[in-house]
Amino acid sequence: MNQDKKVVIVPCSGIGKTYGTVSREAAYEVIEDLRPEQAQLVALSLLVLGDDDARLAVAQNPAIAIDGCKLACASKMVTESGGTVAQEYAVLDVYRRYRQFKPRGIAELNEGGLQLAHALAEEIAASVDELLADEGGQDA
Amino acid sequence: MPEFLEYNLDKFVFRVATDRHYNANGVWAKEENGRVSVGLSDFLQQRSGDIAFADVLEPGTPVGFGEEIATIETIKVDISLPSPVAGTVVETNPDMEMEPEVINQDPYGGGWVAIIEASDWPADQAQLLAPQAYYEHMKAEAEEEAENL
Repeated sequence: MNQDKKVVIVPCSGIGKTYGTVSREAAYEVIEDLRPEQAQLVALSLLVLGDDDARLAVAQNPAIAIDGCKLACASKMVTESGGTVAQEYAVLDVYRRYRQFKPRGIAELNEGGLQLAHALAEEIAASVDELLADEGGQDA
Repeated sequence: MPEFLEYNLDKFVFRVATDRHYNANGVWAKEENGRVSVGLSDFLQQRSGDIAFADVLEPGTPVGFGEEIATIETIKVDISLPSPVAGTVVETNPDMEMEPEVINQDPYGGGWVAIIEASDWPADQAQLLAPQAYYEHMKAEAEEEAENL
């Protein structure tokens, strides 16, 4: 397995926004529990600040952007940082597929929000696997 | 009269179409040949946020003036839309099922919600706000919200 190649995950940074919180909770679950060896988190704020390490990470690895609203800041910043959005998720679109998980809350999500974040995390994890397979970075 | 009245508040621009009437909740009604299409004003859709789901009464369902004709779930709020006209729902916008965001994209056009066969449009119209009156109402609401932020 190519240990150097990881999928970069850039979630929405919308503080005080329910869908932004869903995006971050999903990202945390992927990098901490589901694909800790295959994925790494890059904070959107670091890209906004032009952090060299963050820019390098998105430029050299496939990136998954998770957008909390139609402004699509995560996707835009990946592109503006020299990277390519390999997969984009919009929390609103994900919610439309899982209407039973109605997100509410900001600092702390309700049960629906946590379940939606989990469902999103599972989809992202599957995308991580596909992207690494495409990169030839996974064991046969 | 211009096609739209526009109100600017900070970075926001709210438009009021001048070819229809409104209730105080921001639901518009536009009559053509006894049938009245209804939808959300630009101000209502902007203050409500991105729309996730829209559930509209089925065609054939009678609805009274002020009774709920649809519920809208956005990323911020759940809202009930009171009908600005009494009658029977004869058509619903098929986009409400899979692409309700058309309300955000085109509130006065493709984002119409339903068409109602009006039972007494002149009587209902008399209870609604003309464009200029709704403009003033909306402006006051927008300014109040801005002050409370």
